[in-house]
Amino acid sequence: MRRGAEWALRLALVAMLALSLWRATHEGASGPVTRTTRASDLTPLLAAATRTNRIGALEVEMDAFPAPAQRAWLVALRRAGVDVRWRGAVPVMAVAAERVREPRAAVRVLLTSGAGAAYVLSDSAGALDSLTVPAAGATLEAADVVGPVRARQGAYLSSVVAPEATPRRDVLVLGRASWESRFVSSALSEAGWRVRARIPTAPGVAVTDPAMLPLDTARYDVVVALDSTAADLGSAIERFIATGGGLVAVGSATTMGALRPLVPARAGTRRPGRILLDTDSMSRSDLPLRPLEGLSLDAVVLERRPDAVAVAVRRAGLGRVLAVGYDESWRWRMLGGVGGPAAHRRWWSHAVGLVAPERDVPPSMVGSGDAAPVAMLVGALGPASLARLPALQVGQRTLPLALLIVIVAALLAETASRRFRGAR
Amino acid sequence: MTDFVFATAQYESGDWDSAPMVPANIIDTIARYTSIDVAPTGVIVALASPAMFRYPLLYLTGHLPVRFTEAERSNLRAFADRGGLLFVDDHNHDIDGTFHKTATEELARVYGPLRSIPNTHPLYRTFFTFEDGPPTTSHELNGWGDNLVHKTLSGVERSGRLALVYSSKDYSSEWNYHPDNKRFLSVDNTKFAVNLVVYALTR
Repeated sequence: MRRGAEWALRLALVAMLALSLWRATHEGASGPVTRTTRASDLTPLLAAATRTNRIGALEVEMDAFPAPAQRAWLVALRRAGVDVRWRGAVPVMAVAAERVREPRAAVRVLLTSGAGAAYVLSDSAGALDSLTVPAAGATLEAADVVGPVRARQGAYLSSVVAPEATPRRDVLVLGRASWESRFVSSALSEAGWRVRARIPTAPGVAVTDPAMLPLDTARYDVVVALDSTAADLGSAIERFIATGGGLVAVGSATTMGALRPLVPARAGTRRPGRILLDTDSMSRSDLPLRPLEGLSLDAVVLERRPDAVAVAVRRAGLGRVLAVGYDESWRWRMLGGVGGPAAHRRWWSHAVGLVAPERDVPPSMVGSGDAAPVAMLVGALGPASLARLPALQVGQRTLPLALLIVIVAALLAETASRRFRGAR
Repeated sequence: MTDFVFATAQYESGDWDSAPMVPANIIDTIARYTSIDVAPTGVIVALASPAMFRYPLLYLTGHLPVRFTEAERSNLRAFADRGGLLFVDDHNHDIDGTFHKTATEELARVYGPLRSIPNTHPLYRTFFTFEDGPPTTSHELNGWGDNLVHKTLSGVERSGRLALVYSSKDYSSEWNYHPDNKRFLSVDNTKFAVNLVVYALTR
């Protein structure tokens, strides 16, 4: 009987040792566990969760946004069966970068976030600026950037890669021999646009570029029609707009029959400007104005003056058309004080850039970008979990210790039994 | 759209009004040959006044020594920076004369050194074509003044455009007659004025 019990203990010991050995070689045998970590210290746990399937649930405290690669890793773990969840009050933020459609091709950074949030914008070369975001978002223009643009609020970071700049094509200025034609051409040239012009000076005589025609999007970005001298090119301009070109129509150019279906509005009766004889401080609001009337339903008003629309834009075909009601803008340049020429130049370059075709190809943001990290996070892992995951599953984790105690007890019992009966 | 206005520069020193018929003659010529909307009368504008910026092409002449005031210099600098074109003509036709010596010195202070304008410049082809550069004047050919036929004009460019044109050819004498008297000329001698105006308005 006693020997039988000892054999039973020996068999039990061998069985339990075999079980331990089996568990040691098959990790899953101990059962899945839940692990919690911070996003700022995520990588080691991701590696561990990938190497073993003992981690059954993973909860990430978002004290920072995970990098895109980490986010993709979490998605992969979830697809592999790990219960991945995240928690934390993350700031809602998004950043975008685009090239200004002008020859200088500055980078415009657009940032949206909760009102009043303070941000630092930087690129690979250093800080660009720091700003507090108003409710409507913030915009910043940088001459150029190196690498991705980053917006940082504390430990939270959003980044975006600006598209490469593409060279702009020519601008064709059409207008009669006047200071307006001369100074609009000058302003655009000084802003970096390659300007061709056709300026009639007498019946059948024009100061023109011999290679002006054909008018197509392979050669031109924008046509600037300053008055009705563009009438003979009306059908060519119509085709140019339909295929993606841009048109800036000023004053009487907006009332030409051929362009009427394209323009967002037509210029009305001229109102005199506020041009004082002995002052050198004129601004755009002092210019004579032909208020834009009869706005088309899809026209977007860009500038208003009291009781009048000054600038409007619309899409036509594949292109865009800007209608301008300002008259004699050259006076702003000549009578606008020290800053007049620069302001006039900027405004005209911007007006042309507004309707210039978009040729920059932004880098793909799907899956790889970090421009809107909260949206990307929710898209990848779902919304934040409200409750913590249950505590560790102690019973499963402590099973090997109980097994050891049983093995030791069985060993002691078997040895004691043998010794008490005098056996070795 | 307002008309082109021909403006004569008034300066405090010298005799800025030494060629009073030139504006009317040039206005007549512009109206005669071009479709440019031109005001029927010219204006006189003081170089010391901000009103000068209303007229991006200014005509300046005289016989006497020229000394600009600080306000005139400052306005001329701004005028050039903003894209204005100043046409200066030596009414003496004499490079040893007081106007030439003082005016070129003053202009160099404002614009920097004057350089010869090549006779292939667009100024000589922008409306009428002058293959040999600036047309000669009867005052040059008759040996008056410095007794020289000046082959070129001088000037200064800003951003690839002429900001200053300086003439020693005495167009102020050549063009200083009533426009009705053009009918007595076999060849209109004011055609170069059209090129000056068209260049200013188109380049």
